[in-house]
Amino acid sequence: MSHSVSRREFMNLLSATFGTGALIQLGSALSLLPMTAKAASLSLAAPMPGKGKVVILGAGISGLTVAWELTKAGYDCTVLEASNRAGGRVFTVRSGTVIDEIGNRQVCDWDNEPHMYFNAGAARIPSTHRNLLHYCKELGVELEMFINESKTAYMQDDNMMGGKRVRNGEVSTNVRGFLAELFAKCYTTAQLNEPFTESESEIILGLIRQFGDLDRNKMTYHGSSRAGYVSGGLLDHGVEKEMIEFKNLMKSRLIGNTFTANEGETGPMLMQPVGGMDMVIQGFTRKLGDKVIYGAPVVGVQIKENGVDVAYDHDGKRHSISADYCFNCIPAHLMTGIPNNYPEDYLTSMRSIRRGEAYKSAFQAKYRFWEDEDIYGGISWINAPISQIWYPPQGIHKAKGIILSAYNFGGGMVFTKMSQEERVEAALAQGEKLHPNYRDVVEKPVTIAWHRMNHMLGCSARWGSGFSGWTDEVQTLFDRLQQPVNGRHYFIGDQMAYHGAWQESAIASAHWALEDMDQRVRSMAAQA
Amino acid sequence: MKHSLLALTLAAGGLSLNAAAEMDTSYYNDHYCTTCHGADGGGSEGVQAPRLAGMEPWYLKRQLEHFRAGIRGTHKEDFQGTEMQPMAAKLSDDSIADLVQWVGTWKYMPTPVTIAGNAEAGKALYATCASCHGTSGEGNAALGAPALAGQNDWYLVTQLQNFKAGYRGKDPQDTYGAQMGPMAASLADEAAINNVVSYINTLGR
Ligand SMILES: Cc1cc2nc3c(=O)[nH]c(=O)nc-3n(C[C@H](O)[C@H](O)[C@H](O)COP(=O)(O)OP(=O)(O)OC[C@H]3O[C@@H](n4cnc5c(N)ncnc54)[C@H](O)[C@@H]3O)c2cc1C
Ligand code: HEC
Ligand code: HEC
Repeated sequence: MSHSVSRREFMNLLSATFGTGALIQLGSALSLLPMTAKAASLSLAAPMPGKGKVVILGAGISGLTVAWELTKAGYDCTVLEASNRAGGRVFTVRSGTVIDEIGNRQVCDWDNEPHMYFNAGAARIPSTHRNLLHYCKELGVELEMFINESKTAYMQDDNMMGGKRVRNGEVSTNVRGFLAELFAKCYTTAQLNEPFTESESEIILGLIRQFGDLDRNKMTYHGSSRAGYVSGGLLDHGVEKEMIEFKNLMKSRLIGNTFTANEGETGPMLMQPVGGMDMVIQGFTRKLGDKVIYGAPVVGVQIKENGVDVAYDHDGKRHSISADYCFNCIPAHLMTGIPNNYPEDYLTSMRSIRRGEAYKSAFQAKYRFWEDEDIYGGISWINAPISQIWYPPQGIHKAKGIILSAYNFGGGMVFTKMSQEERVEAALAQGEKLHPNYRDVVEKPVTIAWHRMNHMLGCSARWGSGFSGWTDEVQTLFDRLQQPVNGRHYFIGDQMAYHGAWQESAIASAHWALEDMDQRVRSMAAQA
Repeated sequence: MKHSLLALTLAAGGLSLNAAAEMDTSYYNDHYCTTCHGADGGGSEGVQAPRLAGMEPWYLKRQLEHFRAGIRGTHKEDFQGTEMQPMAAKLSDDSIADLVQWVGTWKYMPTPVTIAGNAEAGKALYATCASCHGTSGEGNAALGAPALAGQNDWYLVTQLQNFKAGYRGKDPQDTYGAQMGPMAASLADEAAINNVVSYINTLGR
């Protein structure tokens, strides 16, 4: 390395190599990173007399947020939900749950116990999702810890080490050892003289040594006890596992997961509601009671000068409801099939959104076989369409558990297109590479192909086509759809946020719409 | 209304595997078409599922049977057809009869124009089509050719592309599709397809 490295460059390199965790550690010392924003607290004005009727289309978490906030502010809310349950993509499967996949309905017949559930949609709550956490607190939703990365879970890739499964901790330790040695070689004191002082360099080299558990004097890597022992360690001297050469590990693209799995939004501490993610939804629906109408698909939306008319089916009859305001979280690709009088450019924006294809599946395990292998949660990674196996952090040491047998967020069509039998066989055949006895110890499969789930048909909204990403054109489409029609109809949901597939995003879109409406109401009240 | 799962499996035909749970059959039936085909079967561009309202009962029945048997919607390049095919795979004869009756209760509503082609040029191309589909695109039951007028134009385009490419109509048992295939092949290119569909758009309904 012939040129000296600036602080910024050095940090970019650090984050690219070691993950953002290292960056945050170092960055906050140099105070270069922004602070996260505070949780939004809404203070909504009471409705103007005779102008307080609100209809909410879809009982997704964004719709429920709107209904709850406006109810508190004194509005008269009705939520129309097509399905016979609330929550949309917040969906917990347990004994008796119907999985309403069109063309492949399933009924879950797992043991009926509190810990025997599966979060088929949203599953993780990051510490930074303040608005969601705020509602958990307000609605009395009990939370427990959830962990993304387990060092004792496995990684398996047919291209790596003859397809042998390797513990995540062995992978990360050896990869870090290699990278740290590389760094140490590049960053000699001489090169770091400028712009770092000698004592700063010492700190950095110390960090590099710690990062990879390098030999103190030579700054070289020869393996580390962090990878775990083959035997002993307590009453016998520990026998360290042999170091795995980096050139063997680099055959798999999965190894980077050991850095990213525990960073950013999936970094500790993550949380989950005790008993299933739908406890959040139940928190809302307990408060809203019969304001939520189930089995009530919206079949028409007409925006008028001073309100919105909505038609819906319920109990075999067609109904209509006139409201002053309408908030709509029906997925865009379904909304285009419902008669409406939206402005053409509003519809064009809706039509431009493509739908995602996330897929998850789960088994009931006859016993918690992973605990016999020192695994108590976290994720095993595999280079196969199932991608991941999740071990439940809940119900530790109980007789049985529910194990996630596939999670393919971006490429779920592979499974979606299979029959139920083919999906199950694929999960078994691929899972066997991580747990050789898998086939014998799991039973009662459920599969959730979000692309085919009734009233949803996708996860999550995809703005922009292909890999072109977020262009100016997409920005224009997004901005149009975010604006209300006549100040009366708001389109919401995580589809109306820049960061899809998080409950926090859906809530943020609801808050945006509520604040916009509130401003309009306040200015109307001031004029009146 | 609660039924045992067994009774339900027989009734709705749509349930896979698992045992003795109870579920509410009044909600879970085979009337799930509107999630994709839009409210009252008006068609949904977002899902690329066409209008069903106003469809001829004989044509609707045949397509459901063809999808069920895998005669249509199984070619792996037929992206939209393979979305529909599994939706029909588990329907019983009774259920198909019930669905045809249900779809029949929906009133036809006009579909929006989304294709920009040269209708004038399309008119000349349509001359061939008229012998089977009728001069006003009203269809001909005797020949087994469905109405085209008033169908979603984006859907008609997909079908012509798929017939032309052999993604639809090539199954040995698809005798009706076999008649249509060569007709689509006679449309030279994308522009010709857009033109003829633009002309069909002018036929009204
Ligand atoms: C596999 C997967 C993993 C995820 N992981 C996480 C995670 O770990 N953490 C996290 O925070 N988030 C996660 N998410 C994202 C989270 O679930 C969503 O962002 C959030 O639930 C979206 O809420 P929404 O308000 O946009 O509405 P949606 O959930 O999209 O709800 C829309 C509602 O509209 C209803 N509807 C549809 N048609 C009609 C109609 N015609 N009439 C009336 N109602 C209708 C639907 O039934 C549904 O209830 C995940 C999602 C998936 C699928
Ligand atoms: C998952 C979405 C989905 C569901 C649910 C669905 N369809 Fe479809 N359907 C489609 C799509 C997409 C097409 C277009 C296929 C193509 O382009 O070839 C289609 C095509 C059809 C066609 C062919 C139309 C024609 O003109 O040939 C018929 C008939 C049909 N569907 C009937 C039904 C019925 C009846 C149901 C309910 C039992 C149903 N569909 C449920 C997505 C769906
Ligand atoms: C020889 C008779 C015949 C002629 C000529 C003909 N078609 Fe067809 N067409 C059919 C039949 C039969 C079907 C129904 C196929 C099936 O049942 O799957 C059909 C189906 C179609 C469909 C699919 C409709 C749907 O709802 O899925 C389209 C679109 C179509 N024809 C367009 C055309 C056009 C355009 C032309 C002229 C270039 C044309 N046809 C000429 C017989 C014909």
